[in-house]
Amino acid sequence: MQREVGSLPLAPTLRTKLIFAGFRTVEDLAIDANELSREAGISEEEALECLQIIHPGSCGGTSLLSQKHTGLTLLEQEQAQGFIITFCSAVDDLLGGGIHLNKVTEICGPPGVGKTQLCMQLAVDVQIPGCFGGVAGEVVYIDTENSFLVERLVDIANACVEHCELITQSNQEDEHIKAMQTFTLQNILSRIYIFRCHDYVELLAQIHFLPVFLEQHSRVKLIIVDSVAFPFRHAFEDLSLRTRLLNTLAQQMISMAKEHDLAIIMTNQMTTKIGPRDSMLVPALGDSWGQAASIRLILTWENKQRLATLQKSPCQKTATVPFTITHQGFRDVGFPEHEVNSSQCEINPRKRPRNDDEP
Amino acid sequence: MDWERLELSPRILAAITKANLKSTQSVFVVSVPELQNLTKLSVGDIRKMQKEVATALGKHEMVTALQMYSEKMQFPSQHQKLSLGCKILDSLLRGGIPLVGISEFAGESSAGKTQIGLQLCLSVQYPVEYGGLGAGAVYICTEDAFPSKRLQQLIKSQRRQRSDVPSDVIRKIPFGDNIFVEHAADLDMLTNCIMKKLPVLLLRGVVRLIVIDSIAALFRCEFTAKDSFLKAKHLQTLGAKLQELSSRFLTPVLCINQVTATVNSVQNNIGLLEKNGSPSLGICWSNQLLMRVMVTRTPHAAPQDYPGCVLRTMEVIFAPHVPCSSCYYTVDLDGVKGIDKESLR
Repeated sequence: MQREVGSLPLAPTLRTKLIFAGFRTVEDLAIDANELSREAGISEEEALECLQIIHPGSCGGTSLLSQKHTGLTLLEQEQAQGFIITFCSAVDDLLGGGIHLNKVTEICGPPGVGKTQLCMQLAVDVQIPGCFGGVAGEVVYIDTENSFLVERLVDIANACVEHCELITQSNQEDEHIKAMQTFTLQNILSRIYIFRCHDYVELLAQIHFLPVFLEQHSRVKLIIVDSVAFPFRHAFEDLSLRTRLLNTLAQQMISMAKEHDLAIIMTNQMTTKIGPRDSMLVPALGDSWGQAASIRLILTWENKQRLATLQKSPCQKTATVPFTITHQGFRDVGFPEHEVNSSQCEINPRKRPRNDDEP
Repeated sequence: MDWERLELSPRILAAITKANLKSTQSVFVVSVPELQNLTKLSVGDIRKMQKEVATALGKHEMVTALQMYSEKMQFPSQHQKLSLGCKILDSLLRGGIPLVGISEFAGESSAGKTQIGLQLCLSVQYPVEYGGLGAGAVYICTEDAFPSKRLQQLIKSQRRQRSDVPSDVIRKIPFGDNIFVEHAADLDMLTNCIMKKLPVLLLRGVVRLIVIDSIAALFRCEFTAKDSFLKAKHLQTLGAKLQELSSRFLTPVLCINQVTATVNSVQNNIGLLEKNGSPSLGICWSNQLLMRVMVTRTPHAAPQDYPGCVLRTMEVIFAPHVPCSSCYYTVDLDGVKGIDKESLR
């Protein structure tokens, strides 16, 4: 360990004092706090602090980052981990089982394609009890666009409870019956923690606050930010500042996902990129933001069909699948339940309202 | 927020005072090495400070969805909607226009957009129990002169149009006095109006609805294709300001938009929901919207109950709480009315 003292994250005055006292590399600091305070002419408190920065492992518990794993244990860990299902089996397969815990997933799409709907669906799905194959977690929902409407969430939650009830009725297992007693609309709603952020400073403050919140609410398994794009897409004269803030935010998100073993969903808007030949829609916030999430799902329209495209993933191949949004929420295309229940609210607007023999 | 209110050690506070960091928010915007340089504190101290500021800022804002759902009084934006003054149209929109957010009505000319805007200016003045918000409206015209004659006509026929409201309630509302009309002939005037005049009116509490008729007109004539970046930036700034006003004052913002005819029906790779004509201003504006409704005029006549009227359609393109659905409506002397699907059969 030949790290130079000048590169340590210490207060500048402290750093200068250490260098003046002749401490050039970290190796030189292999002494105890008493000695250091005497040698460098600093208070004992400062000496202790600076030793803690150098050897984080020696005082207090071992840091998470320095733990070593073999590939096998990592694989076992990953396989043991649950997924958050989306209720659309095509999208679940696309993602390799659902939304991964431990990872940051970005959902992009033009307005109205169903980003917020998917977020609300996931906020409900993450709470599905373990015996039904869920992860029984709580959820933090950060709403920056004011698009969270609780009445829609209630629709989705009711549909989900109904679905689990059907499973319980057909299986009649004690475990399921017991789980259903607590899996109610009231409980689902009470486990969704909503924060409102109106601008990017509030959002950044919120992200800084989350580790504190997560310590108090250890069962949170999902954090949703809907959307990251909105607060960052106006009021920025200085685009390099924006890039830096976004990178910091991404870094915090990734470490939070790892440390607390939870999934993070961020939504993003689309913007038109004008190329040499034609223009096309691409996710907003620039190219460097594209590195932030490890999984990127793009939702689009084609004619009247909604499509989900996996654009980036460390473990699944990219592909496109159709999905739909019904009264119950985010679903497969041609899901039989949907046809039965929502026929009353569908009428075709393009259909001529009367018989065809009119001129 | 004051630094003194934070639970920080005096040493850190002293450093902050010395570094002349005015606002607490700056600890999130300025990078850590820069903060270190300014305050001469260690990284650990700076992290502690950021955490402390974040905790103090975020403490009171968390609500659970259950609170939102059950405590109706505290979250009016989740439970109250602005009625369109017609039961059938309200049921299409699940109660009406959401209080927070920008809602857009788009359509070709003579589809009935302005009529809807005018009707909302009246229905917002009804008390809450009749679907209004008990306050006036601002109507910003950019295209045409304000149709005051038509407004007078609508006011006179309110008693017929709103048969669900007792007539002494209607008589007491001075409809004409509560609509503030603003003409914006160019983009600067519109910007000035939104940035300066609207906050003043909203602060006085006399206004709970903003109608902009239409948002596209100025943008379409002032920017050429070359300036699309500038145009996008301008739209984003305006949209953000409207959003902010809307959420601060729980005031719905209604924007009326034109449509751009799509010349060829070749599938473009844009991935938006294709319609015969797409609303103007492109995706940059669409991103700002909470809800988009398209209105069209059909070549058919309305059923017998509405003599001499044209059948029109109202279609929800997207909204967080309503599925893509549609209904028929018509405009007659008394205003905008939805048509029951049964009467068409």
